[in-house]
Amino acid sequence: MKRYHQFTKWMHGKKKLFILGFLALMATQYFRSLTPLFLQHIVDTVFGDDPSALPGFITRSLQGSTVQQTLLLVSVVFVIYTVIRLLFVLISRVSFAYFMETVAYNMRNTLYDHIQNLSFTYHSSADTGDLIQRTTTDVDAYRRFIGEQLVEVARLFFLSAFAMYQMFRMFPLMTGISLVTAPIIVISAAVYFSKVKTVFDRVERAEASMTTAVQENVTGTRVVKAFQNEKFEIDKFDARSETFRYESMRLSTLMAFFWSGTDFIIFIQYTLTASFGIYFTIQGDMMMGEFIAFLGLLSMIVWPLRQLGRLVGDFGKTIVALDRIDDILVEESEHKYDSSNKPPIRGHIRFNNVAFQFHDDHQPLLKNINFEVKPGETLAVIGKTGSGKSTLMNLLIRLLDVTDGEIMIDGVNINDINKKHLRQHIGVILQEPFLYSRSVYDNIGIMKQNADQKHIHDAANIARVHDDILGFEEGYKTVVGERGVTLSGGQKQRVAIARMLLENKPVLVFDDSLSAVDTETDIQIRRALNHHWQDTTVFIITHRITTAMEADKIIILEDGEIKAFGDHASLLKANGVYASLYKEQTQLKQEVKTQ
Amino acid sequence: MKQLEEETFEDLSFNPGTWKMIFSYMKPFRKLIIGLIFFAVMIAIIDVSHPLITRYGIDHIISADDLSLLPIFILIYGFYTVATAVVVFMFIFLAEKLRNNLAYQIRKKAFKKLQELPFSYYDRTPAGWIMARMTSDSRQLSDILSWGIVDVTWGGFMMVFLLVVMFVINWQLTLITITVLPALILLSLYFRIKILKAFRKIRKQNSKITGLYNEGINGAKTTKTLVLEDSNYREFDHHTDSMKRHSIRANIFAGLYFPSILLVASIASALVYYFGGLRVYDEIITVGLLYVFAAYVAQFFEPVMQLANSLARFQQAQASAERVVSLIEAEPDITDDADVIETYGTIEQPKTENWEPLIGDVTFDHVTFKYKKGETVLHDFNLTVKAGESVALVGHTGAGKSTIVNLICRFYEPTEGSVLIDGVDYKKRTMHWLHAHLGYVLQDPQLFSGTIKDNIRYGRLDASDEMIEHAAKMVGADDFIRTFDKGYDTEVSEGGSRLSVGQKQLISFARALIADPKILILDEATSSVDTHTEKKIQQAIKTVMEGRTTFIIAHRLSTIVSADRILVLENGQIIESGDHETLLEQSGHYHKLYTNQFKPIKT
Repeated sequence: MKRYHQFTKWMHGKKKLFILGFLALMATQYFRSLTPLFLQHIVDTVFGDDPSALPGFITRSLQGSTVQQTLLLVSVVFVIYTVIRLLFVLISRVSFAYFMETVAYNMRNTLYDHIQNLSFTYHSSADTGDLIQRTTTDVDAYRRFIGEQLVEVARLFFLSAFAMYQMFRMFPLMTGISLVTAPIIVISAAVYFSKVKTVFDRVERAEASMTTAVQENVTGTRVVKAFQNEKFEIDKFDARSETFRYESMRLSTLMAFFWSGTDFIIFIQYTLTASFGIYFTIQGDMMMGEFIAFLGLLSMIVWPLRQLGRLVGDFGKTIVALDRIDDILVEESEHKYDSSNKPPIRGHIRFNNVAFQFHDDHQPLLKNINFEVKPGETLAVIGKTGSGKSTLMNLLIRLLDVTDGEIMIDGVNINDINKKHLRQHIGVILQEPFLYSRSVYDNIGIMKQNADQKHIHDAANIARVHDDILGFEEGYKTVVGERGVTLSGGQKQRVAIARMLLENKPVLVFDDSLSAVDTETDIQIRRALNHHWQDTTVFIITHRITTAMEADKIIILEDGEIKAFGDHASLLKANGVYASLYKEQTQLKQEVKTQ
Repeated sequence: MKQLEEETFEDLSFNPGTWKMIFSYMKPFRKLIIGLIFFAVMIAIIDVSHPLITRYGIDHIISADDLSLLPIFILIYGFYTVATAVVVFMFIFLAEKLRNNLAYQIRKKAFKKLQELPFSYYDRTPAGWIMARMTSDSRQLSDILSWGIVDVTWGGFMMVFLLVVMFVINWQLTLITITVLPALILLSLYFRIKILKAFRKIRKQNSKITGLYNEGINGAKTTKTLVLEDSNYREFDHHTDSMKRHSIRANIFAGLYFPSILLVASIASALVYYFGGLRVYDEIITVGLLYVFAAYVAQFFEPVMQLANSLARFQQAQASAERVVSLIEAEPDITDDADVIETYGTIEQPKTENWEPLIGDVTFDHVTFKYKKGETVLHDFNLTVKAGESVALVGHTGAGKSTIVNLICRFYEPTEGSVLIDGVDYKKRTMHWLHAHLGYVLQDPQLFSGTIKDNIRYGRLDASDEMIEHAAKMVGADDFIRTFDKGYDTEVSEGGSRLSVGQKQLISFARALIADPKILILDEATSSVDTHTEKKIQQAIKTVMEGRTTFIIAHRLSTIVSADRILVLENGQIIESGDHETLLEQSGHYHKLYTNQFKPIKT
């Protein structure tokens, strides 16, 4: 039921517009059903003496003194009538456009905002492609449903209803005859379009499989070429492309059967209506003008009925789309129950018996973590992939929340601190930082609107990325990210460091964030940064022992537990894990010494 | 306003060269197209004749008061019904057949071309661009070409038939009513082009929004850590708001189109009512003919709108057409000479009987290499590597490591000088010959969707399962493969996301090993793996290198140390060369490069 709540939520404040659109639409269709009656009026009333089927408010203005004058009046009134009808068309069109686009706008913004505020856990397990699909294709499906399909259904419904009404007013029996095939048309269309979905799915799957073949071929060019598998690739692609063509053609054939089949039924209806019409006219049960009007009205019923059936058959798609959007919205925002407490943060951090475990995991990722870092100190965390070192950082900025124990900052439990406030004071530089698709300049200054150029260049200089940037064709104006130049992993990391340098954070975390920078540059950057962080609490998460060895305190993490804790000298002396790791990673140094 | 006109003009400019190419792709379907045109004309005839049947009923049966003709009327109508069903079926079927075949044909040509294009093409062409050509462009193009034929033929013939029949019935009345035709045509064209533009703008805006979603999702972690949620949302809102305004405007504009056409059509109807009515009253024409006229006038705007629509769509498709043609007709800049192909065959038909065995000596003889943009990467570069030797290339980004490797693979060719394999310029043999003896291992490994077995077999398509398992054992991948439920038949899933980076690397080693190349290229990744996997990989590297000429773009110390020769590169020059010990003794760049990281920082 939830989706129906959302269905109306996005329409907030626009319901009147929707109703106005509907009323105008109704009027439009009523007017349209009058069109064939003008010819009836000419044939039966002007040429003969029979009553007109047009409503009184129109016939009243069609009384000329001569036939010529009357015909002129009919013609002029017809044009005026059309103008009025078109005004209604316009009113409904404008209302629906405003309505539909406002709803779409609300949906897009709600979704974007919601997704941004979903938890880190959600994002790390989310399927990006699928999520994007939902925010674009599914939103569009829903937008079109309320703004186009629903309107179209209403339009077709009103049109055929009014046409039937006009028929009925002229000759009830003939109306019945003209509707004999109507149920067959609607039902066959509805059934067809809901059944054809499975075939449609097969086509889509075939296309996806073909696209994958191209995708992998293009991204794997080196491999294809080096193993000279071009012919193999062509054959693979050709087979999939052929399957896609075959499935697609199956769908096409079904389509051809449907459209021609329903055409067949519709023209049988025409034959019936025309033949009975002729019979009744000759019998004197109806007039010639009425006969002509009947044929005109019939086309306002049979063709729309087929469309109606098609649209109803397609409704299923919208419900699926709405469900898929809803799946996202039922997820809870990570800020929903967040504290509003924003204490000053200086950077005295304490982990007390901290443990963390994903609720669907058997084993904790971290346990019994105890340590303390004071402002101005540097703490290095060394460990293998999977040892839990990144989890440690995620806990610190509350991307994840501890399952046991507590983390204190300046004596306050971080669970009692507003998340955004906390993150604003802890600068994290990720191993794989994300750059937004805008210029390098704007990326560096992203947290500080209107930062002056000198600051930006200084930051880039300290992070040793200034020269790289000047080497780009458009320098600092070079657009990066999705739609721009792709930077190397090392360049991205350095831009991310520059980005962080613009702000003064009491706590900084380097989450393996120099891993893709060569050793020489690594040293240069760290040396430059040393000046910068006199009073800052610094975390360095790394797998390179050389990066860690100058820290004030070093933690060795293994399988989620602290294996050793101390400074370089004491750890080396203890001759434990750290010492052996040190030996392993510095074999060259040993060799150099022995030379 | 002037600018607007110019834009319109530019939009309408027609590129005959492109369409000529496109139509040449349609040649194989000539029969299909003729059939399609035939049925489109039939549809026009059917549409035009419908009111004539009714007219028969009005004038010959009702007015003549002759019920005996009713069975004939029913017969005609019945025949008409069957004919319509058949013709509608045929033209949908044929149009769709053309559409599917054409799309298939375009994709096939494009894909084949993609396999022929040299590596340099991929270097300067984004993957997304290629993907779009293969999917949306080829689809759009075939849609418009196939259904465009139907629409244009139907629309054109419909107009001609309508006019002819109208003239035959009463030429004066026809002349009076077609005075609205120019207005109809102008309005249709005006609106079509405007609408097209408005929607193009919306599409652009829409893809921007998709991009922002993409950022919001892919960059979620960064956004959270930088607390950029609010500023991102403001930017997003800015775009969705503009999208909303543009969409409403376009919608209203599109909404004006049909009413304005209807208005013109209603004037035509009024003319028929008045002038036609008078003629009926004067008994110049019958009621049946008045009906036919009224019906035709109401029908007339359909072909006009349809033609305007097709014109707009063709114009829209031109961009797709140009892009597709530019891919299919792209000239590979590295090709084998005709006389070389004569001796050694093509990739489809290699003359392996003429192939000399490849031993593995590689020589760079005064090689200079410039990229197309003009930047010189290598200048007068000389290097000789003996068969079986392993060479590690060391140096900063941009020192020329990748270029050397790309030249060895003949992904690029030297601008000056030559690369010799076993003492012979490799341009004297086919690329296929070289690649058949070449192995390439990227440590950011590219696996294909399919099973692990398929992926290893990719190195040698005729390899047996035993050979595959043997290769996996040799590189130490067998252990972890067997831990999977389905073993070698485990799907690596798209992008290989089920396997760890280290596992993927091992599989790519097995793939290289099974190919049994004489020359091996190893491109080491900078990404880090845990120590255990690291050891396995080092072991695998040793296994794979054995007995082959190996070039390694190296980042790992252990790999470098185990190479026979280390080349330290800077600005495309070899500044130091020798084995690990020798180089360390020199206390030069190599020494500096690898001792630097141990200098204390805090001075």
